[in-house]
Amino acid sequence: MMGVLKRTAMRTIAATSLALGSAAHGAVADIGQGALKVLQVPMRTDGPKSLDPAAGSTVYDNMACCQFYETLLENKYADPLDMEPRLLAEIPTTDDGGLTWNFKLKPGVRFHDDPCFPGGRGRAIRSDDVFYSIKRLATRAGAKNWWLLEGAIVGLDAWRDSTGMTDSPDFDAPVAGFIKRSDAEFQIRLTEPVYRFMYVLSMFQTSVVAREAVETYGKNFFQHPVGTGPFILDTWVPQQSLTANRNPNYHEVRYPARDEWSREDQRMRLHRPAGQLVPFVDRIEFTMYVPDQPLWLDFGAGKLGYIMVPAPMFDLAINRRTNELNSEFADRGVTHQSDLLLDFIFRGFNMEDPLVGGYSSEKKALRQAISLAVDWQEFNESNYMGQAYIYDGPIPPGLDGHPEGGRAPLTYRGPNLALAAEKLAEAGYPGGQGLDPIKYFTDQSDESRKMTETFKKQMARIGVTIDPQYVDFSTLIDNVNNKRAPMFAFAWSSDYPDGENNLALFYGPYESPGSNHYNYKRAEYDRMYEQIRTMPPSDERTAIYETMRDMLIEDTPYLGSMARTRHYLIAPWMLNTRVTERYWGWFKYVDVDDSKRPS
Amino acid sequence: MWAYILRKLLYNIPVYLGIILVMMLALRVSDPVAAYLGKNATQQEINVKRTEMGLDRPFIVQYATFVGQIVTFDFSEQGWNNKTSVGKQLASSIPPSLAITVPSLVTSALISMTVALIAAFYRGRFPDKFLMFISVLGMSISFLVYVILGQYWGAFLPQQRLNTDVFAVAVSAGADVSDPWFFLRPNKWVYYCMLPVIINVIVTMGYDTRYYRAVMVEETNRDYIVTARAKGATRRKIMFVHMLKNAMIPIITHLMITLPFLIAGSVVLEMYFLIPGMGRTLINAIVNKDFPVIQGFTAVLAAIFIVSNILTDVLYALVDPRVRLS
Repeated sequence: MMGVLKRTAMRTIAATSLALGSAAHGAVADIGQGALKVLQVPMRTDGPKSLDPAAGSTVYDNMACCQFYETLLENKYADPLDMEPRLLAEIPTTDDGGLTWNFKLKPGVRFHDDPCFPGGRGRAIRSDDVFYSIKRLATRAGAKNWWLLEGAIVGLDAWRDSTGMTDSPDFDAPVAGFIKRSDAEFQIRLTEPVYRFMYVLSMFQTSVVAREAVETYGKNFFQHPVGTGPFILDTWVPQQSLTANRNPNYHEVRYPARDEWSREDQRMRLHRPAGQLVPFVDRIEFTMYVPDQPLWLDFGAGKLGYIMVPAPMFDLAINRRTNELNSEFADRGVTHQSDLLLDFIFRGFNMEDPLVGGYSSEKKALRQAISLAVDWQEFNESNYMGQAYIYDGPIPPGLDGHPEGGRAPLTYRGPNLALAAEKLAEAGYPGGQGLDPIKYFTDQSDESRKMTETFKKQMARIGVTIDPQYVDFSTLIDNVNNKRAPMFAFAWSSDYPDGENNLALFYGPYESPGSNHYNYKRAEYDRMYEQIRTMPPSDERTAIYETMRDMLIEDTPYLGSMARTRHYLIAPWMLNTRVTERYWGWFKYVDVDDSKRPS
Repeated sequence: MWAYILRKLLYNIPVYLGIILVMMLALRVSDPVAAYLGKNATQQEINVKRTEMGLDRPFIVQYATFVGQIVTFDFSEQGWNNKTSVGKQLASSIPPSLAITVPSLVTSALISMTVALIAAFYRGRFPDKFLMFISVLGMSISFLVYVILGQYWGAFLPQQRLNTDVFAVAVSAGADVSDPWFFLRPNKWVYYCMLPVIINVIVTMGYDTRYYRAVMVEETNRDYIVTARAKGATRRKIMFVHMLKNAMIPIITHLMITLPFLIAGSVVLEMYFLIPGMGRTLINAIVNKDFPVIQGFTAVLAAIFIVSNILTDVLYALVDPRVRLS
């Protein structure tokens, strides 16, 4: 009997081993190792909602679309705050101070081969493709992104009103601001010389799409990307994965030259493949992770090229005190990079609120007192693992107008409880006496509750009572848009790397329900804003930025500011990596070294 | 029996219509279009989307249309997020869920019943106390802890320490999950599904063993057990033949209640192992406010509940001749 049992057990073990062996074999095939160079990267959350750039809005739509489509201009890999031509032969020029821009398309750029083209061969891009792609933003397909171009191009708004928003827009109807010189050269005339238009042309929503593809795939175009990008879609399983293969006909794009890299980047050997043609990898595979645990373990097992360090795992990876990678990772060849985001994290005041709003010296003193009582470092330690960057003014680090070292000449940054008490008395509320509780609107997340409790505690130190209103996000927006929230918690991430984007948040005509949620209105400020939005970068423009910044600090329509730092771990097998969230077209510069993968 | 089933189905039609009515009303309490389009949507965009989705029509028309779609099995309406039809999403998400839940149910039911019988056999003695202690201990630990530790010890550590890639931490992009039957291929099932199944079995065993033991113990006090003993039947025969057969009704009830959850999948397991099953699809739809998917999936799950209830009654009659389907 025992013998039979033993034999059965042995057979079972053998069968299981065989099954497991074959499973493991299958697994190796799945992760794509072998002759092809495959880059595996994660997407946190459930991934893109659409692969149609005109309809995209999230960072994940951006991340996916940038592999298939390209824009006229693109951020530089070696310096992501700067731009370079991508589908253009050169940076656009202007002869009339920025009202009319001249564009020359790069020769040799073809759309992906796709059945939507005659013979299945992708054709060269033309001026009409650019006009068509921009016009799509003025249709229902691009309704979400219309704000990017609203009022910017001569005749585009009229085209949108007359045909764009109908069931079948007439794309052949002319737009006065689109002037075709030839298939390779064109002009765009703006309604006013708004400098940010150049940044808009680098945003993925303005990517050039093929009209044939849109018309062939119709409603399903969102899942049939046909662009000029370095990769061609292979599979997209929504909320699960996205894979793409190298575009064999990708136009000539080279890795940045050695002198484009900073000394620190050169020390990290990022310049090594300088001048080589990209992309380097044959295939790219995105897996969408919602919980942090599998993401973390898959990176640990060497199956992902890089990850953003999830907050709960921060101390496992990085030494908070030294900001260096823990030896467990460093010994395995993992490297660490950080990226300071263009964030403006703040608490806003409604300047029309009878209690906290207004421009009188007393009202200003009240807001300054509140500002002086805030300890941003406490928020930083408790909510951002001490990794956020605290600064004065609304302009994030790295941009013109940002104060040196984050500290402006004029500042009401706390904690300075003595001065806060003085200001409070100046406002007519000594020790907070006579001051009604201030309603503070914030969302219901645990994170917000935690920060609000800290804020409440900080204000109690000077006798100011905060009355938190925890509401769902749509109610929060509704209260802010309808000017019913005396104070509110928001954050702003710059759409493009120019302080103008943040200064626009305080421009009078943009008052609620527009982006000026503070309802800040100063004629002098508005005049300066109107001046800077047509100015290219210059010392003169920076000086105006600084004046506007200091005006805001003095009036204190918000409490702030703070910018988050992202930390990334990079696997030893993912080469040439410079992680940035400014744009997502950088995977084409990345290479892989399979010999450095775990065996 | 067929007459009974037909009658039951007819009785349940008003129940189902009521469920659909309540569900549709609940989903419309706050404007689903505004919630989906988010803070930057203009009133014009909201109106366009509302018209596009037919949500501008009177509620009664929407209700009748939706019921009509269910009756004709027309689930062609597209989800708002990934623009795939609800029917296609159902079809592609059910097999991965079943790949985990069916083996889990079968294995855990067999093991739990066996352990429960052993515990009942040794009622009040050390084996019983020990097994129940283990069961209670197992029940006291959160499902999430099992998943996290299971992923770490079951998949990650063997890769790190033993250099053997036996179980996947999660389904990677390299897996061809566009084929819904991918997870049912034996080697893929072992690599991607076996660990979640083991975790699921461990988690459910605690609850199931306690429940089945209670059922068995209750049966030991019945008259037919006394009679069997008086007739000289061995204790083993009493337990495994007489008692088990008579305990089948509560066991079937328990198993059949689990049936809809089988199809709905295990949300936690699917989320952590990135298995594109029904639970994960539904949760993603809820998070993304994907109204058609939530509505479609809920309607299908409600139907499965009703059908499983009817099946439970039928199975009662099959296992217990005293039960008449009338």
